[in-house]
Amino acid sequence: MRLSEKKKDFLFLAVLILPALLLLLFTIGIPILKSLYLSFFDVSLLSMKTQTWNAFGNYKKLFADQELVHAIGVTFRYVVTVVFLQFALGMMLALILNGKIPFRRALRTVILIPWVIPTIIGALLWMWLFQPQYGVMNFILQRLELIGKPLQWLSDIHLALWAVTIAALWKQLPFMVTMLLAGMQGIPGEMYEAAMIDGAGKRQQFFHITLPMLKNTIKTVTLIACIENFKMFPLFWIMTSGGPVNATTTLSILSYKTAFIDLDLGKGAATGALWLVIMLLFSWVYNRLFAIGEGKGGAAH
Amino acid sequence: MNRSKRLSAFLSILIAVLFLLFLLFPLYWMLLTSFKDNSVLFKLPPEWWPSKPVLSHYDKLFSDGVFLGYYRNSLIVCFCTTAVTLLAAMFAGYGFSRFEFKFKSFALFSILSTQMLPVVSLLIALYTMYNNYHLLNTRAGLVIALTTSCLPFSIWMIKVFFDNIPVDLEESAKIDGATRFGILFRIVLPLTKPGLFSIGIYSFILSWDDFLYSITLINKDELRPLNAGIAIRYIGELSYDWSSIMTVCVTSIVPITLLFLFFQKYMVSGLTAGAVKG
Repeated sequence: MRLSEKKKDFLFLAVLILPALLLLLFTIGIPILKSLYLSFFDVSLLSMKTQTWNAFGNYKKLFADQELVHAIGVTFRYVVTVVFLQFALGMMLALILNGKIPFRRALRTVILIPWVIPTIIGALLWMWLFQPQYGVMNFILQRLELIGKPLQWLSDIHLALWAVTIAALWKQLPFMVTMLLAGMQGIPGEMYEAAMIDGAGKRQQFFHITLPMLKNTIKTVTLIACIENFKMFPLFWIMTSGGPVNATTTLSILSYKTAFIDLDLGKGAATGALWLVIMLLFSWVYNRLFAIGEGKGGAAH
Repeated sequence: MNRSKRLSAFLSILIAVLFLLFLLFPLYWMLLTSFKDNSVLFKLPPEWWPSKPVLSHYDKLFSDGVFLGYYRNSLIVCFCTTAVTLLAAMFAGYGFSRFEFKFKSFALFSILSTQMLPVVSLLIALYTMYNNYHLLNTRAGLVIALTTSCLPFSIWMIKVFFDNIPVDLEESAKIDGATRFGILFRIVLPLTKPGLFSIGIYSFILSWDDFLYSITLINKDELRPLNAGIAIRYIGELSYDWSSIMTVCVTSIVPITLLFLFFQKYMVSGLTAGAVKG
């Protein structure tokens, strides 16, 4: 009797989790292994039946033509800039919305709207705002006399990445603010009262209470932001397609172009494989960094 | 003292207004542009408020015979994805919340870390697999792919909701002779409604946002969802007829914005529960 109950439990558990696991295995587990496997072969989208081993040929090609190194550089520059900016600005806005500002409840809702707008709609919208002759961005900047002549936002090698970064910031800042705000509201008010009695100013309260208490939230949301931007595809694809002259070719654009435009699946898969290695290294280093912070925090108390 | 306090209050309001401008002005501009006639569109300085708004871009869009098709495809794909995600995530989340088994934390960790994988390298292999199984150019194929991109975080979020429901309730129901599925459907699920709402909305937003899966796995124009359709047809064909493009944009964000405004309470609580505890 007892055994059969246990067996029933086991069956029930299997029915519960197997559908999700099988789905994930089919569209994520197997493809990722298969893609690693493909990266060692000559495969083209036109001749998928024939796959010939090419002795690391795909990887050799990648390192020979410099594109990969360039794309890694662009990706990191983009990810670091956009995550840093959204964290700094997000913290600022979250602090304001956590204070006594009029209409704060309504504001917290309204600012989230850009976050639900599909990425490609955001991309099109910002292309129109950045349009060189008739775009409102150049018009406003010229009126404020911040720039002399209209900027070619999306076709200037030095500006294109910034233009995409601004569009990404617009879409992602709301999520960052909401998460930080939720974290701040979880900090008990007595901590601030006690600090005030001890004579701590606003700045000291921020550095000694808010930041340390938010540590886990910060770790999670910045990691989510990093991952999301490492993978970012639609913004670049719509706004610049990787141009001008590869100035905005990130790893995702490079591997997509190689696989589905140049039709070289093998080389595309190899780019993806290296990208995967970079992601793993990155998240390892990331966790290490936060762990170091933890050790210090422990010693200080 | 009082003066510096008032100054800092003023400063924070000023900064908040600047942020609001940055976040909301583009949306206003999108709406405004969609009502501008092409003769007004290229005026400098631009019109900040439409002098004579026109609906011609909307008329043209709805009568072009393709746009509504894209729209329908998107709605079908997103509703199916949301339904399948809800079902699978709710079962899996309950399993992970209530049972202890070998490799449980490993399984949970692997599920969550799939979020890290580059989608393009998945797609390369998925494309060849779909080609073999005849899933390319099918709605079912797209729904399956989108479901798995929604699942990891959904499972994680709903597990947190289940964790917060006391087990005692289920135990007393068990003594009363309820079956396992009976307990799940009659007792636990009604209590998790907010959680189910959260993951439902999350999945809908995520699948409405999808671009990469649908441009790769669907090549037939009559099956294309909105985002892929917009990118492939309108950007080229309208060749930067900005009023029409902004009209497409406004129309395509209506459902998602309404959904958000009605259910934002659930969404924010769900996301923060999932992300902050995870």
